[in-house]
Amino acid sequence: MSITIENLNKNFGSYKALDNINLEVNSGELLALLGPSGCGKTSLLRIIGGMELADSGKLLFHGEDVQQRDARERNVGFVFQHYALFRHMTVFENVAFGLRVKPKKERHNEAEIKRRVHELLNLVQLDFLHDRYPAQLSGGQRQRIALARALAVEPKILLLDEPFGALDAQVRKELRRWLRRLHDELHITSIFVTHDQEEALEVADRVVVMNKGKIEQVGTPDEVYAAPATPFVYKFIGNVNMFHSRDHAPWAAEHGDAVAYVRPHDIDISRIAQDDTALPVEVKLVRAIGSIVRVEVALDSSSEIIQIELSRERFDSAPLVIGDKVFIRPRQFRVFESGVLNELSAA
Amino acid sequence: MSTPTITRKISTRESTTVTLLLIGVALAYLLLFLGLPLVAVFVEAFKKGWQLYWEALQEPDAWSAIKLTFIAAAIAVPANLVFGVSAAWAIAKFEFKGKSLLITLIDLPFAVSPVVSGLVYVLLFGAQGWFGPWLQAHDIKLLFAVPGIVLATIFVTFPFIARELIPLMQSQGKEEEEAAVSLGASGWQTFYKVTLPNIKWGLLYGVILCNARAMGEFGAVSVVSGHIRGLTNTMPLHVEILYNEYNFVAAFSIASLLALLAVVTLLIKALVEWQAKRSGEPLHHGA
Repeated sequence: MSITIENLNKNFGSYKALDNINLEVNSGELLALLGPSGCGKTSLLRIIGGMELADSGKLLFHGEDVQQRDARERNVGFVFQHYALFRHMTVFENVAFGLRVKPKKERHNEAEIKRRVHELLNLVQLDFLHDRYPAQLSGGQRQRIALARALAVEPKILLLDEPFGALDAQVRKELRRWLRRLHDELHITSIFVTHDQEEALEVADRVVVMNKGKIEQVGTPDEVYAAPATPFVYKFIGNVNMFHSRDHAPWAAEHGDAVAYVRPHDIDISRIAQDDTALPVEVKLVRAIGSIVRVEVALDSSSEIIQIELSRERFDSAPLVIGDKVFIRPRQFRVFESGVLNELSAA
Repeated sequence: MSTPTITRKISTRESTTVTLLLIGVALAYLLLFLGLPLVAVFVEAFKKGWQLYWEALQEPDAWSAIKLTFIAAAIAVPANLVFGVSAAWAIAKFEFKGKSLLITLIDLPFAVSPVVSGLVYVLLFGAQGWFGPWLQAHDIKLLFAVPGIVLATIFVTFPFIARELIPLMQSQGKEEEEAAVSLGASGWQTFYKVTLPNIKWGLLYGVILCNARAMGEFGAVSVVSGHIRGLTNTMPLHVEILYNEYNFVAAFSIASLLALLAVVTLLIKALVEWQAKRSGEPLHHGA
C-alpha cells in the first residue's frame, strides 16, 4: 500500500517537529527515515501510525485520507525500539494478541489462531520459545517476537521505530540483514526510523534524510551517498573533508565564497604535484584499518587536517610514512555556495 | 546483587559490644512503641476472662458498630478503587490540561486534617450549611447518618489507590498500550488485557492500605457521625465512648478486634509484597 504525505506540519508547543513534509512512499518498498535525534523522524512515523496527530497537512494510504482514522483502524503494524512486548504474556500469547482482540465475527477459531501463531514464530525462527515470557528472552529475540506480533494482524504497512537501537553491534548487524531478507519475502510497505547511516544504507530501498523537521534529501542509498543534495547530507552520511575556496582550494576558487566537499576516498596522493591545483601537505598519521588505510595530512598553508582513505593495494604501491611531504588532489568533489549546490561545478 | 554483602562486611567492623548495643537499642525501641501497645490491647481485653470479652462483642451496640464499619469500608474501597484506577490511568497515560491540578486535588485529603474534612461536610450538609435546607426539604439525611459516614470515609481514603498506582503506571510507560491499540485492541480491551495485569499487585496493595484506613478512620467520621449508639457509631468511635464510660473491658475488646484487623491486613500486605517480588513487578510506595 502506498503512502502519500502532503504539507505535513507538527509542533510541540513552540518547537517545530515537522516542517512542511512532502513524501511519497511506494507500495512494497522498504524506506529508511534517517537523521540525528530530534530531527522529527520518530514524530513522522508516529503520525503515520496514528499515535500522534499532525497539526495540518494530508496523510493518504493508497489515495485515501486516513487522518481521521484511529490507530486501531489503520491496519498498520508498529515495532517499538524497546519492543513493548506484553510482559505478563507468553511469547505465544503476545503474537496471538492481535488475533484474539478481533471482533467476534472476524475472529478465527482457536485451531486457526494456533496455526497462524506457530507459522509466524517459525517465520522469525523462534517457535521453540513459544511458552517463554519476554523477560526470559535476549534483546534480539524480543525484537523478532515483536515483529511477529506486528505481522500477525496482516498489516498493509509496517512501521519500525529504531528497531535495532537497543541491541549490541553484532546482533544489530545480523538482525538488519535478516529484516532485509524478510522484507524481500513479504513485500509489505515498510518504514523504519534510524539514526545509524550504515543501517539505512545497508537495509533500505530508499533513504529519506531528515534534519530539524525538514527533509533534506530522498534517494537510493547510492544517491544519498554519492550525490548528497545538501551540505548536511554530506556531513551526516559518511565522512567528508571541507575545503573553503577562498582559503586553500584552487580547484574551486572560481566560485568565490564556496565550500568544496570531498570524500576521504576521493583524494589522490602523489609525491610530485599532479598539476598547479594540487595542494602541498605533510603526512601526520598513517593507520591501517582492515582493508583500508587511513591517512591524515595537514595542509602546509593552514595546518588544517584532511582525512584520506586509500585501499590497501593502492597504499602498498606507494607507501607513506609520517613526515612525508606530498601533494593531494580530489578526483571528485561537489561545491556548495552558501548551502546551495552549484550544479556546474560538480565534478 | 553482591554489593550489599560487601558493604555490610566493611561497615560491621565495630566491636561485638557496640553491635549488640545498637541492635539492642533498636529492638527495645520497636518493642516499646510498637510491640507493647499491641500486646497491651489484648491483655486488657482478656483481663476479666473470655466470657466477658465475648459478651462485650455480642452486645447489640457493639455489633452494630462492627457492621457499620464494614459497610463504610465496603462502599468506600470499591468507590476509590474505580476512581483511583481511572485517575491513575488518565494521569499516567495521557496528556491533558489541568493534570497537575488533578494530582494536587488527589493529595488534598492527605494534606488536610481529618477533623477539618469532617467539618467541611458539616458546613456543606448540616442544618445551617449550604445544602442543609435543600436536603431537609427533600427529607434526605446525610449528616449524623450512615451516608455522611460513608462520604467522610471516601474522602479520607481518596488518595490511597491513585497514589499507589500513578508512579507504577508512569514507570511502565505507554508503549505496551500503544502496541495493543496498533494491533486492533479497543480501549477497554487494552485496559483489561494489558494495563490491568501489569498493575495488579500494586492495585491490590493500594486496596489493602485503603481498606485499613477506611476501617480505622476516627477524626472525620467522628465529626459527621453524631455518635448515636447502635446507629451511627463505627468501631473506633464506639471504643472511645466505652472508654469514656470506664467500661475498659468492652472498650479493649472492640479495640482488639480493630487491632486484629490491622494485623491481618499487614499479613496480607506482606503476602502481596512477596508475591509481587516473585512475579517481578515492582511496588512503588508512593503514598
